[in-house]
Amino acid sequence: MIVNFLTYLRERPSLLKWLFLAYLAFALVFDFFADRSYGHFWGDHLVGYWAVFGLVGCLAMIVFCKGLSHVWLERDKDHYDK
Amino acid sequence: MTSSIFMHPATMFIIGALLLPLAKKFNVQKIWLVLVPLVAFIQIKFLPESFGNVEWLGFELKFGRVDQLTMVFLHVFTLMALIGSIFGLHVKESGQHVAAWLYVAGSLGTTLAGDYLTVFIFWELMAFASVFLIWYRKRKRSIDAGYRYLLVHTFGGLVLLGGIFLRYQNVGDLNFEWISVDHATLADYLIMIGFMLNAAVPPIHAWLPDAYPEATVTGAVFMCAFTTKTAVYVLARGFAGFETLAIMGAIMTLYGVFYAVIENDARRILAYHIVSQVGYMVCAVGIGTEMAINGASAHAYAHILYKALLFMGIGSVLEMTGRSKLTELGGLYKYMPFTMIFTVIGGIAISGFPLTSGFISKSMIITAAGNNHQLVIMSMLLLAAVGTFLSVGIKLPYYVFFGPKDSGLKPKEAHWNMQVAMGMAAFMCIFLGFYPDYLYDMLPYAVQYHPYTSYHLAETFHLMGFTGLGFYLMVKYLKPHDVSNLDLDWFYRRGAVWFMWVANKPVNATNEWVSNIYQNIGLRLTMALARALSWFDWEGIDWALDGSARGVVKGGEQVRQFQTGKLQHYIGAAVALLFIVLIVVVLI
Repeated sequence: MIVNFLTYLRERPSLLKWLFLAYLAFALVFDFFADRSYGHFWGDHLVGYWAVFGLVGCLAMIVFCKGLSHVWLERDKDHYDK
Repeated sequence: MTSSIFMHPATMFIIGALLLPLAKKFNVQKIWLVLVPLVAFIQIKFLPESFGNVEWLGFELKFGRVDQLTMVFLHVFTLMALIGSIFGLHVKESGQHVAAWLYVAGSLGTTLAGDYLTVFIFWELMAFASVFLIWYRKRKRSIDAGYRYLLVHTFGGLVLLGGIFLRYQNVGDLNFEWISVDHATLADYLIMIGFMLNAAVPPIHAWLPDAYPEATVTGAVFMCAFTTKTAVYVLARGFAGFETLAIMGAIMTLYGVFYAVIENDARRILAYHIVSQVGYMVCAVGIGTEMAINGASAHAYAHILYKALLFMGIGSVLEMTGRSKLTELGGLYKYMPFTMIFTVIGGIAISGFPLTSGFISKSMIITAAGNNHQLVIMSMLLLAAVGTFLSVGIKLPYYVFFGPKDSGLKPKEAHWNMQVAMGMAAFMCIFLGFYPDYLYDMLPYAVQYHPYTSYHLAETFHLMGFTGLGFYLMVKYLKPHDVSNLDLDWFYRRGAVWFMWVANKPVNATNEWVSNIYQNIGLRLTMALARALSWFDWEGIDWALDGSARGVVKGGEQVRQFQTGKLQHYIGAAVALLFIVLIVVVLI
């Protein structure tokens, strides 16, 4: 049953995309109503701070790590066996 | 008191392991594999505060010291031993189970030890038992990785032992208690480095992602739970509040996820995530406040369960398909739906989704850093959380079970016992998320922390959601490649090759050169010297000796001619001598 459901979703990527965007919108709206009295620093008092942190952090990490791998760390899979 | 050693849960696992071949002979191996960890899991609740104190060669060995900190680790270790043993039920080789249980015994013994000597004994048992979990894979790569693992751990053990000896010399006792950072000496730092090696703190972490992916399917499930978390326990026991640990821990969290983002082998990704997640715990130990120590213990508890769950899920895929590389997998959800669900539960738990165990434990450490005004560390931990969700929450299940293309593999669903074990771990991940007090009540200090605040929820929704957006945007760029990435094990893997090269080429060449010189010049010189010595012997020494001998003979001959045999000659000579003596005495 779950297999059929997942296959159904997998064949409809645009539906998945809209569901995902709806979730992001919900997260942003939810942030307006969160209680910020326990904030540790300035970022905790900005609406959407962690959204930016997550997105920028994620993109930067992918670019940095993949880049580092390509220019330096990458070797053949049997590098040490040679 | 010696008899009380038998209530030690490690004793139970050791005896259980020794009797295992017998259980196999009588066809009750499966029952025995469940029974022993189950009894241990129940029995730890009845342990007294102190037991098994033994006098040995003037040392007081304390095999059992139980308090709240010990208890939470014992609880999860024995639970994990049960889950791991169930996961391995289908494995017929007793040797693997024996190694796993001795390994568990080492971990329990270290956790309960009240003095450094006992810590060391069980510490080494852990290293030597666990290496068999790698070797039992029986591939050349695994044998090699096992030897490297053993060498690195032997080195760590020696550093630890050096610290222990030095400490005994300085302080005069071996009690394993908390050390204040202000009074720490070289001895304490050596002990700490020994512990940090097992916690896989960079730069001495590379043994972990080197060895764990080469272990057997069951072996990796055990290994991911015990070595590093026992190290977290001993660090929390002895070295809470060392700021070095807080900084190293925060670096660890990022180091692990960076590699996880670029790795291709699923079990290597998970291994790097052990480095990352243990980083949270090491960092919390370094922060050292009550809340941070609570966080380290809670996170260790939660982490053992979800990381074992992930290793079980990916292990099941490896068992059924023989593959663990992301580039060779994909589309498996149709054939292994339960394994997929369990792995995804592990993935969202490690990412700290609401209503999972990661949400209630990881946030404690991050909040402890915030409360301690360590904002840089707090931001590093949150960035690591982003990377965790990216690589284990999304990338791993996506490329294994869904993926841009199907691999064409049609494996069977995992064995029933594997599913039961995964179900148990998955249940605990969700259960702790719904009912955090079950875990919070076990922690060493009273907990005033509430994870389900609206702000914490909003923060998590954002971090996860927008990390997902990042993945969506960059998915083409994230595609894994079938390569291996260099890590710091390069130093000893290439270093060893170079050492062998140096030994083979320059040292060997020098050796041959020297022996050539010796044969051509040295030998002739030696012969010439020998001839000179022989000549000297002949001409010099013999001449001198023979000469003196001839002198003695000649003197004897002359003396003999004095002796005429006539009495009047002798008396005359004696009187003449007397006169000479008298003249000399009178005149001088």
